[in-house]
Amino acid sequence: MKPWMSAWDGLDVFPAGTPEWAVAASIVGFVYFFVIMPGAGFMAFLDRKISADLQARIGPNRVGLAGLFQPLADLLKLLQKEKRIVSGWREAFWLGLHTMALYSTVAVLPLGSMFLLVDTDMSAFMLFWAALILALGTMLMGLNQGSIPGWFGGIRVASQALAGAFPAMIGMICVGLRAGSFRWSAVAAAQGSSPLHWTVFSDPFQFIAFFVFLASGMVLLGISPLDGGLSVPDIHGGVSSHLYGRRLSLFRLGRFYGFFLWSEIAVVLFMGAWNLPLFVTDAIRNYSTPVALEAVELLVLLVKTGLVMLGVTWVARANPRIRADQITDMAWKVLSPLSLMALIGTTVWMIWVNH
Amino acid sequence: MESVFTSVLKYLREVYLGVKSILTSCFTALPYLFNRRSGDLHKEVTEQYPDPVSSRTADDLPSRSRGLLFNDIDRCTGCKACEEICPTKCITVENELGTEASKVWVAVFDIDMSRCMFCGLCVEVCIPQSLVHTKEYEGAAYYPRDLVISFGRGRITPEQRTKWAAIRQAKEAEETL
Repeated sequence: MKPWMSAWDGLDVFPAGTPEWAVAASIVGFVYFFVIMPGAGFMAFLDRKISADLQARIGPNRVGLAGLFQPLADLLKLLQKEKRIVSGWREAFWLGLHTMALYSTVAVLPLGSMFLLVDTDMSAFMLFWAALILALGTMLMGLNQGSIPGWFGGIRVASQALAGAFPAMIGMICVGLRAGSFRWSAVAAAQGSSPLHWTVFSDPFQFIAFFVFLASGMVLLGISPLDGGLSVPDIHGGVSSHLYGRRLSLFRLGRFYGFFLWSEIAVVLFMGAWNLPLFVTDAIRNYSTPVALEAVELLVLLVKTGLVMLGVTWVARANPRIRADQITDMAWKVLSPLSLMALIGTTVWMIWVNH
Repeated sequence: MESVFTSVLKYLREVYLGVKSILTSCFTALPYLFNRRSGDLHKEVTEQYPDPVSSRTADDLPSRSRGLLFNDIDRCTGCKACEEICPTKCITVENELGTEASKVWVAVFDIDMSRCMFCGLCVEVCIPQSLVHTKEYEGAAYYPRDLVISFGRGRITPEQRTKWAAIRQAKEAEETL
């Protein structure tokens, strides 16, 4: 047992002597199939329903209760689309890269006090690797298409990723300053279950840092409302212009995964992670198994993540979408200075106010 | 040349205005999420037509909505008030004398729905209230001639006309006696 794997030692759902790679692979598979995929479907449904309400429409209401199974129906429809282009090395390359990016980044997700696959001193930095791999995969897919929308879309995706990475990194460093480490467990331990003990409300500069972090993540990954790199009116959806059927559903899943990843990390960094009130933790520890504690923590984390995602969706659906150049402009000229301001402010606050 | 301080203030002001505009549109949209809107728009949404889920029918329309016209020919007196008031001249009425002097045989009562503008004037002037607006609104047809709705009893033959004239004269003769 390697030291960084000790966190999920307490889960004891695996029989003794199970090889590490099997444990890691089954955890990644569990997260992918039971957290990310149903989450993608449910959030797609909520997104469509909420945007319909905001625009005085009804939204999906045919499949299942109030249209709840619409994403499933969409998936089935997309899967049975006929192939237009003979699959070649380009499709194989893209699918391989995209799948690799998805599966490898699941490993860095913090999902509870015992569900930490990679808990090292630089864990929080790994999300940049995850996000940049997703952006890189998307860019390569666009460049691979051999079409003008694909080329432009690929370049836009790359420029957004570069513009968003800097303010996001600085925003994360603000949290590291407070927690004293970039280890997931340390970041979670620095916060409490009550909102008063969350990083976001610990001082006014962390408050700014939270919104800068969230917005720059949207820039980095090109998530609505800052998805000008994939805009339909001018470049026909950019990198997604040639996608259909199975590839489109994979692409959408990847985009949702990026959104989920970023919101989830924002919750862990700024909004109290998976922390429960102490008496609840003690009660579950005393009367139930560690697996139950982990499940409750995961649930709390997912609910918070869902709320953050809904907030972003609300902003996205109530505001007009801005152009790709305006997005990068905003990232460099507004988010970056604000993030630096937050960093300096947090440092000063920690020295002069907290001590 | 403005000072650095002024530029920074200007920059911060612009950031503030941007955030304010985003929040304003967010909170403007919020009531729509809970269907809390003022006035007549309350809970009104665009829906598909025909919508099998909400399954609205013509009966769900407001009570005074003006759909296709219908004339109850048994009550119609053939007074031609509707024909006269119609702004688009879409109603054609042709009368024949019936078997009694007081009864009119409405031979032709045609309404050309392609010209009708649903103003409702004909319904208002109809004294026996035989002409009404239904709630039916699906009036699509392949040819304009299909849009002419006929409520008349049909033209009568010359033989019938002479026969009816004879009956009428016989009744008049009875009354004068």
